[in-house]
Amino acid sequence: MKKQNYTWKRIVFYIALVAVWQAFDSVNIWPDQIFPSPLEVGEDLVYSAADGSLFFGIGTSMLRLIVGLAIAIGGGMVLGIFMARVETINQTIGSLVLGLQSIPSVAWVPLAIIWFGLTDAGIIFVTAMGALFAVTINTYSGVKNIDPNFIAAARNMGAKGEQLITSVLIPAAFPYMISGFKQGWAFAWRGVIGAELLFSFLGLGFLLNVGRQLSDVSQVIAIMIVVMAIGILIDGFVFRRIENKVMSRWGLR
Amino acid sequence: MTKLEAKNIEKYFDHDGQKLQALGGIDLKVNDGDFVCLVGPSGCGKSTFLRIVAGLDRPDNGEVLLDGKPVIETGPDRILVFQEGALFPWLKVIDNVEFGLKIAGIPKSERSEISKRYLDMMQLTRFAESYTYQLSTGMKQRVAIARALVLDPDVLLMDEPFAALDAQTRDLLLVEMQLIWERTKKTILFVTHNVAEATMLGNRVAVFTNRPSTIKKEIVIDYRRPRISEDENLSKYQQQILAELRPEVKASE
Repeated sequence: MKKQNYTWKRIVFYIALVAVWQAFDSVNIWPDQIFPSPLEVGEDLVYSAADGSLFFGIGTSMLRLIVGLAIAIGGGMVLGIFMARVETINQTIGSLVLGLQSIPSVAWVPLAIIWFGLTDAGIIFVTAMGALFAVTINTYSGVKNIDPNFIAAARNMGAKGEQLITSVLIPAAFPYMISGFKQGWAFAWRGVIGAELLFSFLGLGFLLNVGRQLSDVSQVIAIMIVVMAIGILIDGFVFRRIENKVMSRWGLR
Repeated sequence: MTKLEAKNIEKYFDHDGQKLQALGGIDLKVNDGDFVCLVGPSGCGKSTFLRIVAGLDRPDNGEVLLDGKPVIETGPDRILVFQEGALFPWLKVIDNVEFGLKIAGIPKSERSEISKRYLDMMQLTRFAESYTYQLSTGMKQRVAIARALVLDPDVLLMDEPFAALDAQTRDLLLVEMQLIWERTKKTILFVTHNVAEATMLGNRVAVFTNRPSTIKKEIVIDYRRPRISEDENLSKYQQQILAELRPEVKASE
């Protein structure tokens, strides 16, 4: 009931938004090269979908994102677990992680270009660095917040070392880790688009840049809408679902 | 035959920078197959003592001997059942019960055979595929007991396992616990603050003093089983225990 209710509100809102947009366009305050109509943007989307360039762009960006995010998740989990379990690592590397997290992902671009050149690896590096520390910090808090009796019970039943990590620490910290993955994904998505924009080497960010170079404002807006839509879809369909499932199973909701 | 022996166990805690002595030299001998209840004022260190026996905490002085050999670390020969169960919410009931067996590297077929037996004993068979958030508090404690029993420990350590249960469920489990003890012949150390519970379960009840605690008195309860909570003959034992306990509770306040 409730859900249906706000779905309707949303649909009405977006229709109204497009209508206002169209109205502004009809008044003709700004020329079309600066302020396109929703129809022009829609046309642009259809064209770029029809010639396949849009899907190729999405595919390229997503592939880079997945590889970058996978690296960030793997690295962040290892780093986070060690920070939570080994006090010296927390006191040393932990402070560095907090500092590194404050660096926006696009700020890694110059370094990535110098190290990797204008390659996929460079963009993946930027993506991974953007997401790594969010995953690390959330994994760290997740492991820190594990009910100490879980660990005591597991040790009591004979778990130690690697077994303790894989069979208790990771699953027990999972509710936190999943918010880390979600945050990491959001940073990675920003990172990959930002890096592609600056590398100007395929992907959605590249298409944005092409739009700017051709002064094709409707392409620019069309791609921005695609970036946003993918963001909403992945967040809602992938992460929120996993999060809901995890939260209810772990008895947190 | 002496199964378990605690010799002069002392334990200190840091409390706002002050050293606080929780255990002031606990001496306790437990025979093979004995059922010993530990009662005492709250905060007297009964649970701490149990954790030391489990090898989860280290004593500052004294030692625990199992079959004459000093206990150095935790292990599946002394399994602790926690007050809140400490069940793993990411595992199904059956996987919770098999946890220790899996850690020990016991093959799947053998695991299911063992777990089946104890799920049956604890009347959990139809909940085997449930997750813990779907269980009542009483069911959770049954799982916790089954999870301990599958490992066939020499000593079962129980830390107020029934404290969070409603009266009816507790009465039921108190009777069942006696049957389990008779069937499995386990040596059990059972911490409770509930004197009636202690007289129903224990062959012996050890009364702890206030901090720094020692064992003030051991009361032997030589009475037929299964004992039920309504049995008025138990009240003379309860009076005896309460007479020892009351001054200690008063001193702790």
